[in-house]
Amino acid sequence: MKQNKIKQGVITGLTFGLIFIFLILTGFTQVGSDMIGNLLGNFEKAGAENALPVINLILFTGLIGLLMGLSTSKANLSNTWLASLLNSILAGLIAGLLVGAVILVTGSFHSQGVDFRNYLPKLGSEQMNYLLHYTTPLAAGTTYLITSTVASLIGGAIGKAFRQQSWTAHSMTWTKNTVKNIGKKLKLGQSPQRKIITILGLIVAGGLLYLLPLVWGSYWNYTMGTVAIYILLGIGLNIIVGFSGQLVLGYVAFFATGAYTFALLTAPQPHAILMNVWLAVGISVIVSTLTGLLLGLPILNLRGDYLAIVTLGFGEIVRILIRSDLLTFLTNGPKGVTNVVQPSWLGKVFSDVNYTHFLFLLVLIALFIAKRLKDSRTGRSWIAIREDQTVAQATGINTFKSKLLALALGAALAGLAGALFASRNQFTGPEDFTLMVSVNVLCIVIVGGMGSLPGIVVGAMVLKGLPEILRELDDYRLLVFGALLIAMMIIRPQGLWPAKKVSLELQRKDSLGDNIQEVEP
Amino acid sequence: MINKIKELKITWGSAIRVIVGSVVAVYLIWRVVIITFGSGEFGPDTWVRFLITGLVIGGIYALIAIGYTLVYGILFMINFAHGEVMMLGTFAGYFVLEALSAMPAPGTDANINFLNAQPVLSILLTFLAGAGVSALAGYLLEKIAYRPLRKAPRLIPLISAIGASIFLQNAAQLLFGPQRRQYINPDLLWRGQGWMIPVSGKSVMLTYTGGFSFVLSILLMIGLFILVRKTKLGKSMRAVAENKQAAALMGIDVDSVISKTFIISGILAGSAGVMWGIHNGLFNHYVGFLPGIKAFTAAVMGGIGNIPGAMIGGMLLGLMESLGPALLGLDFQLKDVIAFAILIFVLIIRPSGILGEALTEEKV
Amino acid sequence: MKLKSVFVLLVVFVLALTACQPSQDVEETEVSVEETEVSVEETEGVVEETEAVAEETEESDSSLPAACLEDELGCAVIQAGETIKIGMGAPLLGDYAMFGIDISQGVSLAFQMDDGFEGWTYELVAEDTGGSPEAGAAVANKMVTDPTVVAIAGHIFSGSTEAAMPIYEKAGLPMMSPSATEPTLTQRGSTVFNRLAFTDADQGKFAADLLFNELGFTKIAVMHDGGSYGQGLADVVRAEFEALGGEVVAYEAITTGEADYVAPLSAVAAAEPEAVYFGGYAAEAIVMMNQWSQAGLDGVLFFGCDGTYGVEFTDKTGPNGEGAIAVSLVPPDSDEKTAFDQAYFDAFGTEAGELSAFSWSSYDTGGVLIAAIEKVAFVEGDTLFVPRSALVEAVRTSDYVGLTGLIKCDAVGECNASGPTFYEVVDGVWVPLD
Repeated sequence: MKQNKIKQGVITGLTFGLIFIFLILTGFTQVGSDMIGNLLGNFEKAGAENALPVINLILFTGLIGLLMGLSTSKANLSNTWLASLLNSILAGLIAGLLVGAVILVTGSFHSQGVDFRNYLPKLGSEQMNYLLHYTTPLAAGTTYLITSTVASLIGGAIGKAFRQQSWTAHSMTWTKNTVKNIGKKLKLGQSPQRKIITILGLIVAGGLLYLLPLVWGSYWNYTMGTVAIYILLGIGLNIIVGFSGQLVLGYVAFFATGAYTFALLTAPQPHAILMNVWLAVGISVIVSTLTGLLLGLPILNLRGDYLAIVTLGFGEIVRILIRSDLLTFLTNGPKGVTNVVQPSWLGKVFSDVNYTHFLFLLVLIALFIAKRLKDSRTGRSWIAIREDQTVAQATGINTFKSKLLALALGAALAGLAGALFASRNQFTGPEDFTLMVSVNVLCIVIVGGMGSLPGIVVGAMVLKGLPEILRELDDYRLLVFGALLIAMMIIRPQGLWPAKKVSLELQRKDSLGDNIQEVEP
Repeated sequence: MINKIKELKITWGSAIRVIVGSVVAVYLIWRVVIITFGSGEFGPDTWVRFLITGLVIGGIYALIAIGYTLVYGILFMINFAHGEVMMLGTFAGYFVLEALSAMPAPGTDANINFLNAQPVLSILLTFLAGAGVSALAGYLLEKIAYRPLRKAPRLIPLISAIGASIFLQNAAQLLFGPQRRQYINPDLLWRGQGWMIPVSGKSVMLTYTGGFSFVLSILLMIGLFILVRKTKLGKSMRAVAENKQAAALMGIDVDSVISKTFIISGILAGSAGVMWGIHNGLFNHYVGFLPGIKAFTAAVMGGIGNIPGAMIGGMLLGLMESLGPALLGLDFQLKDVIAFAILIFVLIIRPSGILGEALTEEKV
Repeated sequence: MKLKSVFVLLVVFVLALTACQPSQDVEETEVSVEETEVSVEETEGVVEETEAVAEETEESDSSLPAACLEDELGCAVIQAGETIKIGMGAPLLGDYAMFGIDISQGVSLAFQMDDGFEGWTYELVAEDTGGSPEAGAAVANKMVTDPTVVAIAGHIFSGSTEAAMPIYEKAGLPMMSPSATEPTLTQRGSTVFNRLAFTDADQGKFAADLLFNELGFTKIAVMHDGGSYGQGLADVVRAEFEALGGEVVAYEAITTGEADYVAPLSAVAAAEPEAVYFGGYAAEAIVMMNQWSQAGLDGVLFFGCDGTYGVEFTDKTGPNGEGAIAVSLVPPDSDEKTAFDQAYFDAFGTEAGELSAFSWSSYDTGGVLIAAIEKVAFVEGDTLFVPRSALVEAVRTSDYVGLTGLIKCDAVGECNASGPTFYEVVDGVWVPLD
């Protein structure tokens, strides 16, 4: 019993210690400290010339310690005050010792003039001095140890106090219930009320969609334009993956086909066809659809992951062929196609504001069509195929035809998105169509919630918008993004805005389990 | 009724198979005739070179592919971050070699470093470090990113794996910097030196690193095969792959078997990573991505979940990449196109890979 | 379970920090919001008018210096305590990160070593593009919303530059790229785009001439890495070499990032060339060099381009790289170059030329931009004004001597006025070829 109690603290301490060392080695401590400095208004900056304010670093250490203390208290609900605090102190000590030891070792090497940067580029001389608080390694190590222990103790005490009164738990359930009740009331309320609310909501949303592009500047217009294009892609892939359940990893192939068809038809080089923009958009969509049909015919009988890798391969084939010497005469090779025509209406070329409006309009239309499709007979047959292909077949659905239709529709939307992408960027090159595009779109579909249309909008905002927002984190943005993806899958596997049918299905825990009750952990 | 549907399906599928198969076969025969009786663009020595390089790369692909196949066979998930596990192994091996080359050898004069004084021990240490770090990475990856998702639908762990892949790649760039690094080999295994094989009047070089990698990968594969077929762990792995619940009822600790599977696939990936470093030399944080995709292809081609299938798939992929463009008279830039086209072709002819799925019977 | 919660907490913490961080961007976006609104009201749907113009029409009633009122794009106004920002779109993450990091380090070193202008210092704002054209345009759009960005060092790859050019053109931000080599970039009538890098066309012509006339080869093979840079060079070399009367016996493209190029090299070797020209970067060139004899190419000359030049090549090929030839903008060792190499190593811990071959030209890019800004910027009160169209003009008329020799732009923005230097590896060191 006693051992178990201590074990918690040891594990937490070790984990946090290692995480903190990782943050030091990746240089994140510096960024974190700067952020704290910015929050506090950098009051110390005026003092020393080049020296970064040490207090920020100590605060950063303290913050991590605080979190550590909080998380130790969380695990030990049944512990007494003494044991709980002991655990926090233990965790703080262990983490502090780990970090202190690393600082001590690197610090003493550094003071002997050893340059770590060949192997660990973030440990340059300036950073090392900062990590050492501009003092000796021993003093700095001790500071880390003390800060971490004290902060962990405070965190543990706070956590324990909150849990003791279970104040947080009460408030949480209260909020949850209130939200639920409000939701119920809204749903149960008379339909005219609901209608009014819906209409009001739609008007406000429409107004925002119209007004925002006017005011938020070209950068956000561009970013939201990208988001809109990815929403179109997401809707398309959602038809294939979310509705009909076919895992396609080479969706970028159709995107590339659309973009290149459009670009080659409208750009002055290399072919100088200079076709009308709207006609070219139509042809791009048709060509992409045909590509989808041609690819689908031989391979749609494949199951699950075989289909995934075949389509992945197809995506790569398209990209490599586009940039290869073999097709350079047709596609202009790795240089890409430049001066792609922008759309115009009544002789006026779209400005970026017009373009954003236009994209939003298309997204709304596509969402509407997808919604109608989902509720149609075809849509239900897709869902039947997704749930169980054999049963679907037995009920008289032509599964092959349905799957092919889904693939063709998805490809058509990707073709449209590609044409818009090329025309908005006025440029298209093979580097825009890497495997990561397919992966991103798949992430949009799943992060938003598989089979859910509002989920796609949310997912696209998160996946294409978040990296732009995370630009503040500079080099760390993709690191944080990857971590967030994992965290999201663990916390909300059903997606940010799950579809209702899928969430029912999620309760079936195991692919093997025909017995639902048994597999509950 | 059901019979009728089945018949219909078979006619659809077989019609396509016959058409595609015959077109490809005719084209291949025509190409081979052209090459043998026609231009004679490449001499026999060139063909031997193609063969050697294909086998060496194939061995590396096979090792990574086994990792995919093991994990897939048990969890039915594509471990997208497997390439990154290999990358961590490559880094670990590099650091060990750097340390050993900076260390003076005990008992000899100061001019010879440890690496050259004890080459066999050094290489062994390097492989241990690479395999160990990759095994640890695989273990932690499963524990942090996949285990909480054990019960989730199949696509969820895939996204988690993609997240892990992005995270690990960027973590490695931030930790170790973006520059390419090069393995310091002991003089015994110096790159660009090897045995000379006389082929039709010319000598073809089989490099020491290439021969070493190939032999080692074969040995590792044999070892794995024995492990899966003969040991208790292998038996329980197969049992878990077959049916998790039944295995649990038989007293097998499913969680621990899954962890061990990740450790084994990590060991293989780490060894492949060190081989990559020793044979190729150059690497950076991005080194795992391309081999990862290739190995995944190889695993599927052989029949995913099937260990001999992954070996054959890997070797075949390596050979196709080196021989394919020459056989078809295409640019070497298109070798991936050829590889993927053959993959599609194989799957159309045999929808569950060359050897089919063996670790398990039936899975969607 | 424990690990999971810990991890989640960390993530939440990081997010909270990001969200709370008060950045200048908030102000900037507000500024641009005002501007756009004004432009919408005033111009009544005249879409061509840019924001920058709108800004000036609005501010014209306030007391701006005369030079700013005359300038058709207006001034960048930099208050005391702010820095003069120079933007850059570069691949800082991912597969091509070493190019972006090297170039941004080179440029920022130029800014660090400069003592500033009348109390204002220069700051490099480098944003990640990952090398893709799409992200290049995104970064460009971000740069033009920041009114204190006065010029752009970059972008790095031709595709990203291509996508960004029209956006900077509209905003009137002069560009100086150390590395975008696509020949047609300067033939689009852009007033803002300039580059230090050689165009592929020039370099290829020099290389073919050297191969045929000086070295006396008649049968060569041409290879490239499939990228726009490598393919562009290879095509020019093939055309020029054949025009001179030589024979190109093999033309092969490879894929980047592989472990083994024995197969394509063997195919090239079967055609028995006297030399192999390679258009591409050091990563592939090093692997190829190390497998040279394995592929049966013993005694065949390796002829690279400015992407293969640099210490990385000699370091990592060792004896295998002996005798290889490459091209560089960088003239043989000068005192300035030695000083720069030392400063670069001290600052970043890697040698100049180890990450990419563009360390020196990126330093010069910074230098050229500083010189141009100092020519047109002026102080009134405690505010610094940089007239934008004057700066565009000043960059185009640069006349500057840097590490890479004379930098003097011609009418379309080709700024490298000194010719290339050919280098050969002798005893593991690049030595100028006579």
